[in-house]
Amino acid sequence: MLGYHMQGYSGYGVQYSPYFDNRLAVASGSNFGLVGNGKLFILDIDPQGRILEFNSFLTQDCLFDVAWNEAHENQVLVAQGDGTLRLFDTKLKQYPIAIFNEHQKEVFSCNWNLVGKQNFVSSSWDGAVKIWSPQRKESLLTVVPRPMDVSTMACAGPQVPMSNQKGHADIAKNKNCIYQALFSPHDPNLVMCCSGNSYVTLFDSRQPPTPANQKSFLAHSGLEALTCDFNKYRPHSLVTGGVDNCIRIWDLRMVGPSAASRANASPAVCTNEIVGGHELAVRKVSWSPHHSNILLSTSYDMTCCIWQDLGFDGRRSTGRTNSVDPRRGCRSRFAQHTEFVYSADWCLWGQPGHIASTAWDGNVFIWNAFR
Amino acid sequence: MSARLSNVRDHIAGGSDAYHTNIHEKRPDDIVIVSAHRSAIAKGFKGSFKDVNSDYLLLEFLKEFFDQLPPQIQNHKEIIGEVACGNVLNKGAGATEHRGAMLAAGLPYQIPFLAVNRQCSSGLTAVNDIANKIRVGQIDIGLACGVESMTKNYPLKDPLGLISDELKNNKAAKKCMLPMGITNENISSNFTISRQIQDEYAANSYNKAERAIEQGLFKEEILPLRLPNGEVISTDEGPRKGVTSQNLSKLKPVFIKDKGTTTAGNSSQLSDGVAGVLLARRSVAEKLNLPILGRYVAFQSVGVPPEIMGVGPAFAIPRVLKDVGLTVDDIDIFEINEAFAAQALYCVHTLGIDIEKVNPRGGAIALGHPLGCTGARQVATILRELQPGQVGVVSMCIGTGMGAAAVFVKE
Repeated sequence: MLGYHMQGYSGYGVQYSPYFDNRLAVASGSNFGLVGNGKLFILDIDPQGRILEFNSFLTQDCLFDVAWNEAHENQVLVAQGDGTLRLFDTKLKQYPIAIFNEHQKEVFSCNWNLVGKQNFVSSSWDGAVKIWSPQRKESLLTVVPRPMDVSTMACAGPQVPMSNQKGHADIAKNKNCIYQALFSPHDPNLVMCCSGNSYVTLFDSRQPPTPANQKSFLAHSGLEALTCDFNKYRPHSLVTGGVDNCIRIWDLRMVGPSAASRANASPAVCTNEIVGGHELAVRKVSWSPHHSNILLSTSYDMTCCIWQDLGFDGRRSTGRTNSVDPRRGCRSRFAQHTEFVYSADWCLWGQPGHIASTAWDGNVFIWNAFR
Repeated sequence: MSARLSNVRDHIAGGSDAYHTNIHEKRPDDIVIVSAHRSAIAKGFKGSFKDVNSDYLLLEFLKEFFDQLPPQIQNHKEIIGEVACGNVLNKGAGATEHRGAMLAAGLPYQIPFLAVNRQCSSGLTAVNDIANKIRVGQIDIGLACGVESMTKNYPLKDPLGLISDELKNNKAAKKCMLPMGITNENISSNFTISRQIQDEYAANSYNKAERAIEQGLFKEEILPLRLPNGEVISTDEGPRKGVTSQNLSKLKPVFIKDKGTTTAGNSSQLSDGVAGVLLARRSVAEKLNLPILGRYVAFQSVGVPPEIMGVGPAFAIPRVLKDVGLTVDDIDIFEINEAFAAQALYCVHTLGIDIEKVNPRGGAIALGHPLGCTGARQVATILRELQPGQVGVVSMCIGTGMGAAAVFVKE
């Protein structure tokens, strides 16, 4: 295991560079990201296995996510608490080369298009998902995922509790918060996002951003859906994680046509779920870039876990669920962090299984999933 | 800052266990019922099944049962991981002859067989046994049955077993040998349940069953069984037409001659019958594109004093409802086995159940109570009584002092 401590900053997002096998970008915030400055760290791993700071950028508000420019080896984008997205050049000092300022509240995620490479997507607490081009100051598209209106959400299934949180009685709170939005690695126009109202929404960026063109499903029983990811090998397979402490695996082919838009439609059923794998909410899920049935999760319970999706054996669906395994399909658990683990990323380079993780404890750890 | 902090707080405080008990949510791990059927219930000793034994009933039933299943199962019976069969009166609960019946019905020998006997709950206990094996991943699909030929096996010497002389001095052990009718007389006298309301309850059971047969409500759940002589039986034989509490009141008490209240009219009938429930994990059922009738949610069995064994449901039902976080009022239909009118009334009154919700198509007083079959029979019945989304409870008292209850959701 390799480690780096960000003195005074708590980690919120981490990503390996798609161009350099020894470079990481980490988004962080002071005071646990609750108030104060943010800092973008560009870290290099040297041949001796030390992690060293290559560059860093101080920002005026906390940083919640980071994404490398897939088309430019030196550019990295951050999602900032003041509603802006900032593009930095790692060869320069201090100032961003572009600022994208449209979101009304905290920007919680940003993701660069892996296929098109010409645009990126952001999601915010203001309830909007925006698609941008680095060439333009204004966004290309703004999508408000359905169902944002709580009165229509109530129709999604009368028996589903929308939330058991007292705080959620106040509809203005985190309900609108879009925690993550990302492009499909298979289709340059397909975007998925997950939100505080427990819904996961998919849409095609070529179509008008109307509710009719969105596909939504209730993913976490009314509790907040914090994270989602596309399987890198199976275009129809998704994973989501949420405040119900569950990881759920979905087959897009089994999610009905905009289930949320039809009154009394029965909620979609996931194909597999990992219940009780984490003791607290799941903060980040990510499918392995090397295996079609391995995924990574991080949680408020301070651990990262590597799971095998027992519903898929590498070639076909097995009909099994992870609950039938005594370890629930857990391949390994990383427990070195001492605070909430907010983010982790699979390394695309070298031997499969290297992972970088970052947490509120200010540490960035690099470890191997299979050792 | 405070908004960000409360956002994080909500993430940590949100995942309480309470919501996990929401039984309406569909999950891939759910144990679902693919198919549930029964034979017609025939009168013991003089009914249509009087010349055949339980193994024949099971054989014919399984043939019919598999004929109505989709080809994914019909042509791949080997995907069934286990067959459990409830039975009370056969020697060894029918472990040998019912395994034979299963093989004769064309189920491959690779499927293991289990004979289950927990008295009157044997059929439901078999369902629970299969469900638990699916839940822990031992099997993906399993068949739970119950079969009883009271005609052939009740007249055998000591059909329910005996206790040794050494144990007879033990008060508690001796109570297990009380005739069931006496345990019911204990309930009616201890809890003052009058002969009149027992007869009214029994007449009501007859009337409900009569109505259900007239309206053809049992057609879907009954599989017609062919007898060796070619005759096909598809109608329950227990229910009589035009039963009133007045004509039941003329019957003489059976167990305590002078001041007893338990008569042939307000007790369950001796009967022959068979029922089966095919269960699967939802993820497997969906992968194989199998129909889903409903969902098994939970089961509990409890012990009660043997001398008033009929109170079993009054303790088993709250116990299982506590597990799933529901109350009696949340349940839409109760199938409570009517071993006797007095014990059924005791349970209904003690739990405060709306009588309209109990056995809407009649109970064992009218339909009959083929001991080992009853639990599985009730599952087949309740899944036709419930509307999609409704919750039902199947429960029964158990001889020697027990009660069992299970919760099902119709889909």
